[in-house]
Amino acid sequence: MDHLKQDVNHMEPLARAFSRSVSEHPADDGLFGPQSVVWRVHRDRSFPLAGLRSLMIQALHPLAMAGVAEHSTWREDPFGRVAATSGYILTVTYGDTATANKAATRVRAIHSHVNGTDPVTGLEYRAGNPSLLLWIHAAMVDSIVHVVQRYGRGLDSAAADRYVWEMVRFAELVGVPPKDVPASVAALEEYIESVGLLQATPAARDSIAIVLDPPGLDEDVRELWRELGHVAAGTLPAWARSMYGFEEPAAESMEREPVRQLIGALDIAFESIPGVMEARERIELRMRQ
Amino acid sequence: MSRAGSKEGIRQSRLSRIAPLARLGLRVGGRYLARSPQLIFASVERRAELRHDLALRSAEEVAEELGSMKGVLMKLGQMASYVDEDMPQTFRSAMSRLQHNAPPMSPALASSVILEELGDAPGRLFARWDEWPFAAASIGQVHRAITTDGRAVAVKVQYPGIARSITSDLQNVALLRRIVKAAFPGMDTESFIAELSERLREEVDYLLEAENQEYFAQYYEGHPFIHVPRVVRELSTARVLTTELVSGEGFERLLQWDQHERDMAAETINRFVSRSLYRLHAFNGDPHPGNYLFHGGGRVTFLDFGLTKYFSDRDLAPLVEALRCLVVENDGACFRSALERAGFLQAGAPVPTETVVDRFGLFYSTVLRDEPMTITPAFASAIVRRFFDAKGPLAPYSDVPRSYVILQRINLGLYAVLGSLNATANWRRIGQELWPFVLGPASTPIGEAEARWEAQRAERAEVSAIR
Repeated sequence: MDHLKQDVNHMEPLARAFSRSVSEHPADDGLFGPQSVVWRVHRDRSFPLAGLRSLMIQALHPLAMAGVAEHSTWREDPFGRVAATSGYILTVTYGDTATANKAATRVRAIHSHVNGTDPVTGLEYRAGNPSLLLWIHAAMVDSIVHVVQRYGRGLDSAAADRYVWEMVRFAELVGVPPKDVPASVAALEEYIESVGLLQATPAARDSIAIVLDPPGLDEDVRELWRELGHVAAGTLPAWARSMYGFEEPAAESMEREPVRQLIGALDIAFESIPGVMEARERIELRMRQ
Repeated sequence: MSRAGSKEGIRQSRLSRIAPLARLGLRVGGRYLARSPQLIFASVERRAELRHDLALRSAEEVAEELGSMKGVLMKLGQMASYVDEDMPQTFRSAMSRLQHNAPPMSPALASSVILEELGDAPGRLFARWDEWPFAAASIGQVHRAITTDGRAVAVKVQYPGIARSITSDLQNVALLRRIVKAAFPGMDTESFIAELSERLREEVDYLLEAENQEYFAQYYEGHPFIHVPRVVRELSTARVLTTELVSGEGFERLLQWDQHERDMAAETINRFVSRSLYRLHAFNGDPHPGNYLFHGGGRVTFLDFGLTKYFSDRDLAPLVEALRCLVVENDGACFRSALERAGFLQAGAPVPTETVVDRFGLFYSTVLRDEPMTITPAFASAIVRRFFDAKGPLAPYSDVPRSYVILQRINLGLYAVLGSLNATANWRRIGQELWPFVLGPASTPIGEAEARWEAQRAERAEVSAIR
């Protein structure tokens, strides 16, 4: 019975992470503040799509992927794992300074234990390695900019540059020297193109397959989730798509309106979980002050 | 009875009193109280609940709250009010959640809609304009105002951009199909979507609602128990609907009145539905508790005509025939063939006629016998369960034809409302007053007053014809 109950909603860990990250009584405005572009962008409803795209790109670095494949509960609990990451991003964004710093310290501590050898390339990896962390950071920021500009509430090029610049702080928190972090959209793109070694290893394919069709997902949202995965794949740059062997999606399925409708339908399911709406209201109210 | 037993009994009876209403509330989205102008004089409390601090300040913010399928799914939730026994949990909570939290428009935004629609700022169009709404509506909100000639009115203002976004959302049939299929596994997806689309396209056009409401209001003019607020035409457009402001008590309050009051209110609601169907060939499709105002002594005001369905003689004939065959003639074969003609049952289905009479007969059980009957919550639930029974012996052969979907919804809604009132009446006698094949005499004091009204009405019509 408990098992059945658990299956009721896989989005619950994500919802809990969200509502916990947005404190009811923050001590201060945190690292970015309500007037920042980071605040505005990170509450966008298109975030799950940006998240999927991030994972797909991040996984193409064999050493980053190996760390995840060998050291996390990814397979057993994909939503829990995604919720942890998403909770971290939201805490650093909306939490007060002390909470954000504490979360970053914890992540750095976890990373320090994630070391090994990638079975595909035979190379050593350390999760705390700044160049790996920079890749993870860049793939995420690039995905958020791309998706929010295309399907979100709108982000003009000046705001996008400002966002990338503000996000340097994010990379710094996990241990990347700020001078190495791209601080504009152009610099970000240049950096991503410059990274070698990329390939879709079996571990990457395997983990992305789980993301696209997580085991045990409710039937009622499963199809919608898979559809979102197709859209995410469709937003990938051509080189990334061909590494995975994804086909190019039909142009009409990538249009803004139907994608927003899909996101809206899924968002209703997410928003209906107790705590989500309240957390969104807390963000909204602080931004309005 | 042991102490524990009696405690259990008390809990049972409390639950059975509250549960149907709670369910009903959930079904219509937990917000039904907010949707009706019943709280006119309690508008201060209401205002606290409508989150001013989160008021929508631009069309873009409206789109974020209600665009991208949200408005459509909200309506879907409303339409599915009585179908939700089948609904997976995710969707059920989503529906109620969604409606619970549509914030109001900021005064400036609401005012901009009025300006665009009526050509002037509300402060100049009205002698008095309450800039904050006193009630929410599914795709708009309702403001209290006083016209320049001193009439108190309720002004329903539609969210800007919502009509366009709903139209676009409805065009995404592939996505709608998936959602409906997942949320209502027992339903005929295509006809459900067709119905949803038709309803929503009508609902976004307030002029249609104005027309419907006037049709009812004119017919019921002077009725001693049934009141429909008049429309103020010159202050109504496709996005703004201005009607007479009526004050009265809400459903929750009615539940606290004595049983006699509840019975009278139930009788009037029942009469309104039958009379509208048989005399106006029209059905107002939203019989949920938030759409009534109660004035005591059986007097009821009916609100919200956004969902009105008109029936042709052809639509109605097989239903009347089925009723006559079963209830008056007690002729199973005749009943069955009427159901087949209406499309409720496949012709030649391999089921004995007794089964047909037994299964479908439940829907007529309030009028089978000439005696008082109490419509209990349990009875109302049994009806709903039977209606959506996907496993019964008739399930493979029965269907609700599209033209009757809304009628069925109203019937189920009606039972739910009457059930939560625990209403007692001789429903058979009341029905007979209006059944075209009986046209029986007035059977209650309300019926007698109604008969007098009808006679005067006919007289007035004659006089005006002579003139």
